[in-house]
Amino acid sequence: MRDDLERLLERLIHASVAERVAISVAALVAAILVGGVLVFVSGGFASCRAGLDLAGVTFCYNPMQVYYELFLGSLGHPLEGDWSPMNYSLATTLRQTTLLIFAGLSVAVAFRAGLFNIGTQGQLVIGGLLTAVTVLFAASYVPGGFVGTVLLIPIGVLAGAVGGGLYGAIPGALKAYAGANEVITTIMLNFIAAGVASTLLSWRFQDPDSANPQTRAIPEYAEIPNVPVVGFSGRMDFSLLALGFAIALMIGIAWLLARTSFGYELRTSGIQPKAAAYGGVDEKRMTVASMTLSGALGGVAGAFWVLMEHGRWLENVPALGFDGIAVSILAGNNPLGVGAAALLFGVLSSGSNAINTATDVPPELVGVLSGLIILFVAMPEFFRMMGRRYADVGGPERARSTGGEADD
Amino acid sequence: MIELPSRPDRRTLLVGLGAITAVWVVLGLVFPDSWAGVLLSIAANPSTHTTMLRLAVPIALAAIGGIFAEKSGVINIGIEGLLIVSAFSAIIVTFWLGSGESTLALSHHWWGFAVGVLVSTLFALLFAVVCIDFKADQIIAGLAVWLIALGLAPFVSRIVFDSPNTAGVGYFQNVTIPVLSEIPLLGYLLFDTPPQVYIMLAAAVAGWYLLNRTAFGRWVVASGENPKALDTAGVDVRRVRYTAVLLSGIFAGLGGAGFALGQLGTFAGGGETAIGGRGFIAIATYLFANYHPIGALLGSFLFAGLEAMQFQLQNLGYAVPTELIRTIPYATVIVVLVFVGKTRLPEAAGEAYDGDED
Repeated sequence: MRDDLERLLERLIHASVAERVAISVAALVAAILVGGVLVFVSGGFASCRAGLDLAGVTFCYNPMQVYYELFLGSLGHPLEGDWSPMNYSLATTLRQTTLLIFAGLSVAVAFRAGLFNIGTQGQLVIGGLLTAVTVLFAASYVPGGFVGTVLLIPIGVLAGAVGGGLYGAIPGALKAYAGANEVITTIMLNFIAAGVASTLLSWRFQDPDSANPQTRAIPEYAEIPNVPVVGFSGRMDFSLLALGFAIALMIGIAWLLARTSFGYELRTSGIQPKAAAYGGVDEKRMTVASMTLSGALGGVAGAFWVLMEHGRWLENVPALGFDGIAVSILAGNNPLGVGAAALLFGVLSSGSNAINTATDVPPELVGVLSGLIILFVAMPEFFRMMGRRYADVGGPERARSTGGEADD
Repeated sequence: MIELPSRPDRRTLLVGLGAITAVWVVLGLVFPDSWAGVLLSIAANPSTHTTMLRLAVPIALAAIGGIFAEKSGVINIGIEGLLIVSAFSAIIVTFWLGSGESTLALSHHWWGFAVGVLVSTLFALLFAVVCIDFKADQIIAGLAVWLIALGLAPFVSRIVFDSPNTAGVGYFQNVTIPVLSEIPLLGYLLFDTPPQVYIMLAAAVAGWYLLNRTAFGRWVVASGENPKALDTAGVDVRRVRYTAVLLSGIFAGLGGAGFALGQLGTFAGGGETAIGGRGFIAIATYLFANYHPIGALLGSFLFAGLEAMQFQLQNLGYAVPTELIRTIPYATVIVVLVFVGKTRLPEAAGEAYDGDED
């Protein structure tokens, strides 16, 4: 038992950034390969007019075309003529990236504290609703125009963070003071959030002029403004300011974890709770604090979803919180890695629209892909074995991993 | 690190639940027109009981399966995913074969059922390989199984039906056992019911027997508590864990496929899918039951009963905030976890066993 632990710690220390990146890239490639096979095979069951005939079966889907649409379609087809960087597909990709940075950071912060926050989705739902409601309420007391923008956006983001943070504190407190497993409680709280939010909506906040379950629209000046000249047009629901804020927050969280005593205690609690407690960290308070921070980040994701994408809260909240889990795991729970992983998942998310319009392949493929990515990232041992078997493929990985293991 | 002096535990919870029920029954009898009275009449209604038994199927069977996996040292949090794939594939295979007809003297519902169990077992095999041979983090791998299932069901459904929801394929017929079904009170409940309820009841007994009365059951427990000792005794830990995880796939498959063909009749793949977190409720159920298969069966009645009462309330046309009422089983899971939070997991649960070390 102790040997295991020491070996694990040794491996964590020796697992360099390079190895983590190598594993994430390998997992991505493996997921794409398996996904490609899935697309090809499922094409045999679909019906179509023209496809590839093999042994009497018509295979309707071409995986190469699917991935072409997925990766280049999400950028607006840069290899084809008439490409401008200000296109709608790229705006969608960057908007999803922005939201996924918040959601991914939310999951990553909890992970680093040794907690699985599967509840980012619920925190996002609650945070987003509170943002919309607060902004709608505050708008009647605040002058319009530029002053309104400057006041309402911070109020809205803060409301989202508070709502998500309080909602995240619940599973934290249940874990700390009653030992309730946070994986299950956060999943249950996701269901509860959806139910409570929808009840609140029909009780008081429903837009009376719409049959769609949604709140009234917030004033236009309360939406995240676009950067003039270099920014995307307002109709694309994406603002470079939001992306800039997401990146700044990402760097801030990275700094918080790496350079502050709070971050040090949070990380120690994650890797070695006993050592952290011995070092004077109040384990229970740390659990609540890290879940609150994690929830607040989820709430910020909800706030930006409201303030940037729709200008209102809708009952049909996309599964950003679940994608955030994939983002964080792919990033090795490293805040700076979250940026890169969020961009990748932004591409996948926007690319699913491109797949939907340009091919017959169901866009749900992207959900399967993110599951596969998580599965492969979860088993670094698989890639180490492959690396050992084909030494030239996994050279650097192999050197690293064997460095940490006594018996190889 | 300080333990609370008097922790609420399973016994307190049961006593508390009993007390609340007693107060409710008394109130309901004294004031039949109050909410307590209405709820009591719903709870006493035979159709609530039949609905409860049917709704208990996925929860109880998934919980019994989860017990085997977790007792052997592999925490299978992907059991929700197993329910999804088995329910979905049972429906789609029945649809493909043509519902209402039969092949080789076996109704297509049963062929669909068999394939559903098979698919769930294959997913469990994948999970076992990933966790046991590739030593993946069990929680993350389980989440991956769930997320893959969450994407795969609507993906396939859209290829076949052009929609995340499948077409309807009808339901299993009730199986009525003559004579026994005439027993007052229990007859209609236990002996005039669709086949998946019999399967659930039989599986609970079989699961209990397998875990508590056979050598294999002892190996499963040892593999979760002290794999090294089991290894020393000459039993292959890897094999025991593989078998236990595959069993969790079979049980979950029986639950998912039975639920789909006996209760749903169609599969809605949007959002959280028609399974809607029942696999996670199952995990709370077996923790509540402290890994006892019969206890898990009884525990599933609590959650299924709450859900059945909610359905009845809606059916009877009471103006209740449906969305809010629907969250009650989920909130109950949290309450249960708070009370049984310190359930002792098997010593080696969550750790890969590396037999080659030393």
